[in-house]
Amino acid sequence: MAAADVAYAPPMKSGKAGFEAGLMDPQHRIRITLSSRSVKNLEKVCGDLVKGAKGKDLKIKGPIRMPTKVLHITTRKSPCGEGTNTWDRFEMRIHKRVIDLISTPDVVKQITSITIEPGVEVEVTISDP
Amino acid sequence: MGGRGGGGGRKARNFATFRLFPRAGAADPNDRVFVRVDNNDYTVPGFADEDSFDPSLSDPSAGDGNFHSASGPLPEHVRREILELGLPDDGYNYLSHLRELRPAAASSFVPSSTARPEPLPLDVKAYDASRVRVGPSDGELDEGKTMCKVAAKTAPVRRIEKAVDPDVVRLLDESDVSHVGSEDEGLEEDFVIIANRAEGEELEEEDREEMEEWNGVLSDVEEEFDFEEDEPKPRVRRLLDEQFDLLALEEYGDSDDDDRVVKDGEYELPSEAIDELKLFQSQNVCVDEEYRTPADFVRQKVDSSTTDEVDESARVIKKCAEYAERYLNETAEEEVVVLVSESSDESEVWDCETIVSTFSNLDNHPGKIETPGIPRKRLPRVFPGETTTTNDIIKLHGKEKLPVEYLPQRRRNGEKEKKVKPVEASVTDKFKKGAEKETKEEKKARKAAVKEEKKEARKAKKELKGLYKSETQKAQKVAAVTGPSSIRLM
Repeated sequence: MAAADVAYAPPMKSGKAGFEAGLMDPQHRIRITLSSRSVKNLEKVCGDLVKGAKGKDLKIKGPIRMPTKVLHITTRKSPCGEGTNTWDRFEMRIHKRVIDLISTPDVVKQITSITIEPGVEVEVTISDP
Repeated sequence: MGGRGGGGGRKARNFATFRLFPRAGAADPNDRVFVRVDNNDYTVPGFADEDSFDPSLSDPSAGDGNFHSASGPLPEHVRREILELGLPDDGYNYLSHLRELRPAAASSFVPSSTARPEPLPLDVKAYDASRVRVGPSDGELDEGKTMCKVAAKTAPVRRIEKAVDPDVVRLLDESDVSHVGSEDEGLEEDFVIIANRAEGEELEEEDREEMEEWNGVLSDVEEEFDFEEDEPKPRVRRLLDEQFDLLALEEYGDSDDDDRVVKDGEYELPSEAIDELKLFQSQNVCVDEEYRTPADFVRQKVDSSTTDEVDESARVIKKCAEYAERYLNETAEEEVVVLVSESSDESEVWDCETIVSTFSNLDNHPGKIETPGIPRKRLPRVFPGETTTTNDIIKLHGKEKLPVEYLPQRRRNGEKEKKVKPVEASVTDKFKKGAEKETKEEKKARKAAVKEEKKEARKAKKELKGLYKSETQKAQKVAAVTGPSSIRLM
């Protein structure tokens, strides 16, 4: 993970909530991973998140698009073995976006709760800055 | 996270991963919470929601921060909710086990306002008589008027709602909650309950009560019995009783009862019975030991014979004679001549088989009945009409056991060929199998060969069958003449 040091806010122990040093309470490096099967929803959520974060003036690293994973299933069309050997090729595409922020967990919670889109899975990883 | 460089264990895992899941039991699918999905020690205090009851961010009470429900008392509102639900207040957050009803899900039950109650069965007609005024009785119950009144106010109703009496409802509710121990009471009748209850009390009282009850029931019967003992005939005498008495008298009639019965001439017997009895009495049936015929009486061989007897006997004898004469005369006059035409016997000789089987001699070939002894050959060895070389031994060859000598000459070569070929083929095949496994072509070849053989065999069989049909006809002719008729060759 690329170290994104915040110069003016020395790293704080996360247990002490409410300790203010300069900025708000302890900043963390937060990685939001969004994954979905539909690109449209995913892009919408990404856009909302980025917009929200930018509105709160957070350092944000824009949606990084991971390569789409395509899951294939190839089966015989026939339920029995009779007939010409025709095959079905099914696929499932999973899109993944990553957004890196540096902020407090509360803010992130707010942002992520606002943008609601079905089918998009949100995973948040919080780490020491 | 700055790597540790070479040689070392895992990287320092000081991060926490949360995932958005829809809240369990939440109505809104978009209502999601962050749930921790990793096992690291890293803690982020303000992130994950552990209180499932009050999670929304906008709620000001979220400022209380995270609290573990396991430790410390529950917040007041939570406790109140728990108590309202009827759950015990023991510090455990039962609300976490509750499930919200999802309006989207089909689990919520909303009684429908547009529900139609069940329609009436076809053989029932319902009328709404709520508007009928049942006033105080007017004294005179003019049926016509009341009918009109009722009819005017009632209206037919096509569906009725099930009326639930509040008392019934109450009882039902009560039975659910309170009457756990006294289930039996609901099922039993009052008197059983009383009886059971009374058992707990003094038994003697109970018995006495019962006795009284029983006495009340039995009183009538007892009275009857008492009567019987005092007077022997409380009820109206019937003909049967009188007849029975008479019979009893005769059978067992002895000194005491005789007088009484004879004296009491007040029995009202029907006239027929009286007449019959009189007749019976008048005929002094002598119970002698010897058997007497009417002739004895007539010839005066019996000493103690009255004139009546003699006359009777004479009459009887005369009547018998008359009957006999009449009978004889009848037979003499009306003789029915029955002609029994017998068929010409000598020409036709019937055997039992023909008669039993009801076939004629055309079908049956009667012969001597013999004991089924040694099984004989059906066909005679040499047909009388055939010009064949008579051999003593008939050789049978092949699968079908065909007599070789009987076959026409051309057949023999074919058979011999056949015998040679399969023998060779089988030998070579076996040899091959020993060496290597059959390939597809060899298998096909073998199967084809088998098929060919079967085909040829079938053809041969058909030809032979046709050939031998004439033979069977000839044999049948011969058997018809000589052999027993039970043999059927065709």
